[in-house]
Amino acid sequence: MKAFANLSPATLAEAVELLGAARANGEIAYPAGGGSDLLGMVKDELVAAPDSIVDLKRIPGLDSIRVSDSGTAIGGLVTVDTLAGDEGIRLRYPVLAEAAAAVGTPQLKNTGTIAGNVCQRPWCWYFRQGFDCLKRGGDQCYSVIGENQQHAIFGGGPSFIVHPSDTANALVALDAEFQVAGPNGERRVPASEFFVLPRDNLQRENVLDADELLVGISLPASQAGRNGAYRKVMDREAWTHAVVSVALTLDMDGDVCRDACIVLGGVAPIPWRVSAAEDVLHGQGITAELAQQAADTALEGAQPLAKNGYKVTMARALVRRSVLEVSGTA
Amino acid sequence: MADPMNVVGRPTPRLDALERVTGQARYSPDIRLPGMLYARILRSPHPHALIRAIDFAAALELDGVVAVLTHENCDIEWASGDRANPRMLFNNPVRYYGDAVAAVAATDRHTAEAAAQLIAVDYDTLPFVLDAEEALEPGAVPVQPGGNLAPPFGALAGGGAAVPGPAVYERGDVEAGLAESDIVIEDHYVSKHHNNAQMEPRTAVAQWESGKLTVWTPTQGITNCRDDIAEAFGLPYEQVRVICEYMGGGFGNKNQCQDTDLIAAELARRTERPVKLELTRKEDFLSIHGRWPTSQYYRVGAKRDGTLHAIELTGYSGMGPHIKSSGDIAGIDFYQCPNVRKTVHTVHTNVTTSANYRAPSYPQGVFGIASVLDAICHEIDMDPVEFHLRNATRQYRDATPYTSYGLIDCIEQGAEAFDWSGRRRPAAVDAGPIRRGTGMAIGAFTARLGLSNAMLRLDDAGTLWLHAGVTDIGTGAKTTLAMIAAEAMEMDLDRVEVVWGDTDRSPYSVGESGSRTTSHTGFAIVEAAEDLKRQLDERGPPGPGEELVAEASPNPTLDGEQRYSFAAHFVELEVDTELGGVHLTKYVAAHDSGRIVNPLTATSQVKGGVIQGIGMALHEELLYDRNTGIPVNPGYYGARIATHLDTVPIDVVFVDTEDAHGPWGAKSIGESTIIPVVGAIANAIFNATGRRIKELPIGRDRVIGAMS
Amino acid sequence: MTGITRRSFLGRSSAGIAATATLPALTAGPQEKAAAQQSGPAPRTRIELTVNGESHALEVEDRWTLVEVLRDHLELTGTRVGCDRGECGACTVLLDGKNIYACSYLAVWADGKAVETVEGLARNGVLDPLQQAFIEHDAPQCGFCTSGQLMSAKALLNEGAEVTEQSVREALVGNICRCSNFLNYQAAVLAASRGA
Repeated sequence: MKAFANLSPATLAEAVELLGAARANGEIAYPAGGGSDLLGMVKDELVAAPDSIVDLKRIPGLDSIRVSDSGTAIGGLVTVDTLAGDEGIRLRYPVLAEAAAAVGTPQLKNTGTIAGNVCQRPWCWYFRQGFDCLKRGGDQCYSVIGENQQHAIFGGGPSFIVHPSDTANALVALDAEFQVAGPNGERRVPASEFFVLPRDNLQRENVLDADELLVGISLPASQAGRNGAYRKVMDREAWTHAVVSVALTLDMDGDVCRDACIVLGGVAPIPWRVSAAEDVLHGQGITAELAQQAADTALEGAQPLAKNGYKVTMARALVRRSVLEVSGTA
Repeated sequence: MADPMNVVGRPTPRLDALERVTGQARYSPDIRLPGMLYARILRSPHPHALIRAIDFAAALELDGVVAVLTHENCDIEWASGDRANPRMLFNNPVRYYGDAVAAVAATDRHTAEAAAQLIAVDYDTLPFVLDAEEALEPGAVPVQPGGNLAPPFGALAGGGAAVPGPAVYERGDVEAGLAESDIVIEDHYVSKHHNNAQMEPRTAVAQWESGKLTVWTPTQGITNCRDDIAEAFGLPYEQVRVICEYMGGGFGNKNQCQDTDLIAAELARRTERPVKLELTRKEDFLSIHGRWPTSQYYRVGAKRDGTLHAIELTGYSGMGPHIKSSGDIAGIDFYQCPNVRKTVHTVHTNVTTSANYRAPSYPQGVFGIASVLDAICHEIDMDPVEFHLRNATRQYRDATPYTSYGLIDCIEQGAEAFDWSGRRRPAAVDAGPIRRGTGMAIGAFTARLGLSNAMLRLDDAGTLWLHAGVTDIGTGAKTTLAMIAAEAMEMDLDRVEVVWGDTDRSPYSVGESGSRTTSHTGFAIVEAAEDLKRQLDERGPPGPGEELVAEASPNPTLDGEQRYSFAAHFVELEVDTELGGVHLTKYVAAHDSGRIVNPLTATSQVKGGVIQGIGMALHEELLYDRNTGIPVNPGYYGARIATHLDTVPIDVVFVDTEDAHGPWGAKSIGESTIIPVVGAIANAIFNATGRRIKELPIGRDRVIGAMS
Repeated sequence: MTGITRRSFLGRSSAGIAATATLPALTAGPQEKAAAQQSGPAPRTRIELTVNGESHALEVEDRWTLVEVLRDHLELTGTRVGCDRGECGACTVLLDGKNIYACSYLAVWADGKAVETVEGLARNGVLDPLQQAFIEHDAPQCGFCTSGQLMSAKALLNEGAEVTEQSVREALVGNICRCSNFLNYQAAVLAASRGA
């Protein structure tokens, strides 16, 4: 790694100021939560060599989870491990606890933060091998005519990355709200608007600016009867990103579905909510046929590339099985 | 099991386990010498290119940079880097993505890394070819000046005239045999490049003192490593010392000397300082060889009663730019068959060089032949166990007797331990998305005899010093050999001290490759012990200050026999036809390795080989982008190396055979363990689904593709 | 060949032949890479680390990873580097009791924290029960991943929760063993948890 300075701001304001000052001076500064992914990218020079890394770990107050009947607040520095093990989250937002548990390995979860997990850069193998692809300022997405087994079947173009975060899918399914701190103070962004498609912004996967930080996440109150699950399918049994995953929440009244939220992971450059499939379930008694119908609807409009058509089959099965499982119909 | 002897045959923890669990074991990356420089390699970003110019002036200007090597100022040949063509440490043209272009030595690794990036290289890119069959098409770009078809391995190994051409083996009349067969299966199987991926990345530390070169390096064979280094530098052997106290695995890719050893030595020579050259994990995946990819075309004929009658294999092995190993496609020899023709082309391509990885030519070949034979069983409705009992080899190539033979026992005892008759069902009987299936395959691996050396010293305190040229790559060789010494001398194991891993202190060894250590070095120990016991009888125990010393360099040979270990593996699994997943539920590995010297470490070898095979079957691959010739997934994450959760309980069965050779009939084990795995799994997937998947790895995409 | 001394040998070829060229690239990477030249000394920071109960005050370059400091500056080489990217687990250590990849964590971030490495497991010449179980179950083959496997197992047992076959596999999943002796590692940890 080329030399850089580690800066340890004591407050959020100071952190934002450091990032802003670097930007103003034409320097490169990256914020680090857990820092694993950042260091890997700096070592491999997937991102421009930083002049400084702004370590957020010493900022107090961003590492707690507050669960209450009126809603839940999760600090951006809460580790993925803490989130996965939190009793309140497990009880009220099982889809999030399960998504957090599905991340990487214990070591990655012990250092990785929820903000870092949500904001991680693509794990497209072309991006990670340093190809001069669209995401790195180049002029082509190598997957289009290349090895696109892992790439997007929805929302692709001109880049066909898939969003790598497990927790992001769960947060979209939970209608979370993201708290963003920047030079002009704080703003709140609904999870559904936080992630951006390549056609809207090729350089980033979310709305954050270079001197903005994701500092917290709010979850609406969990409704009694709302159940959820996160199902992740990988190409080895662990320690990799989803080939396809489903974040699902169901609000059941007996056998009848009052409300549903279905978000697909591993299929699109952003967490991919399939509202039409949710509509199939609303107000209906869940049966195997209905679950299949929802699954078929979820995959309508998929546009697989040459080598990733299998994801359609997988995602369809995963949606059907998850609906049956979470509704207790299976 | 054979009757336990005093020491041999008893499960024994490794003698050096304490060092391995306390962190005290010293590996090559742990070596630090005063004044040591750190070195880094700059590698080609192109799969095939001519270097027009290299400018490293800016690198030399960087504070702390001491030396730079390129093809222009270093003309050392890496003799063991290629059997067919001269291979220099730095080649022009570069012939694969990752080919070494330059090396930098600096006062610390960050400076060396930064300096490597300041080297400006002007390339003329050339067309490239990744696939072996495409490389043989008319008009394909030549990867080497002599063309893309390499000479057959036998010709290279024999030192004869190396004329390009396929390796051909033939017996009987394969065309007539196919014509006489009641059923003929014609099919095509494809295996991929996959990496040894040993945990320890390659590191070499070199130091010259008074004209003598010492290299600390992770090697499977200190003797051949030293000899190669001496040859490259034109030094007599005694002027080179190779030390490897501990090494973190190799599985075949740490044989001989590596270019890293030579580059470190040359940098140390020029700078007059010790140099440590470290490879990154990505470099290790790109520049250290893995298993060669193959394309296998079969025509196999059998009689209606299940008797195998003809096998034809035409195969292509993509070796990368350099030929470091046989490029063979093996497995046919496990079967009796009157008519056989095997034609294997070893081909130069612009991908990373392939060579030895655990049972180098077998698992990929067994994937092909075991699948085809399973298809024949299915066609004639014959149980695979019955088919194998009828057709498994009884004599090597139906002509040469084996010194001992436990293959039928492996099949029968393995099938029983697995409850084959209870578990086996017709193909594709499950209706739901989750489908269960069983499969089996067999294997054999040579248990050669040959030259080795051991020295024993008995001191006046009653300690037996065993000098053996091993490094113990993880197999437990140090312990196995000490057990053999203790047994032979009728002593307690704790009286034996092993001196290993240092060419100045340990005698010649063939190297820990080819599963040879127990048979070769173990036998030398037995011979040396005979001498030592004779001396003891004649002179009594050594008095104060005295030692008794015995050395043996036996070179046993076989007369009209072949010596092999055997295996039969059985697997049960579930295929999720919608999610494309394969989940193993039961595994039995039955092995004939002759006498088992240390059942504890031998069992570990079997389990490890099986799990490596599972990874090869289901998810591992070094995948190339065809448009750029650049691999997209070098590393543990990308190549999907197996984890703790990718495992299945494995029942290991050792069958009893008596063999007149080696130390008390011990044969070989390390490599036979991975041979049947891929074939058994592929066959179980067919049994579960009724679909035969003919390309590795059998990932979710291929399973779902086969089902649709 | 005999009679070659270092002196005569050194004369064989010369170093430092320069040529002209332009394009730098290790990978097919972006243009900003060209600006690799550093300006000024690498930033350094004084930190205090407790390693295996012993406190160390040292000045580190900000870019040094924790494993770099442990191995190269504190001479604790029992922690291995297998990939330097958090994808193998060989460098696993405990940081304030939790297992982390020391290759993917800057040493400055560990300022004021407690680090435990494989060298700290045995106390007063007595092996940790995990180490004893690893020996008995033939858990290390080549041994290069062993320190990391031990530290992840230690983190699991530190939690004090009930240990099952599945929880062992999940606790160790971030530690690859290419000798693939996974089953022996799992058995050893299970045995140690029951003996403890």
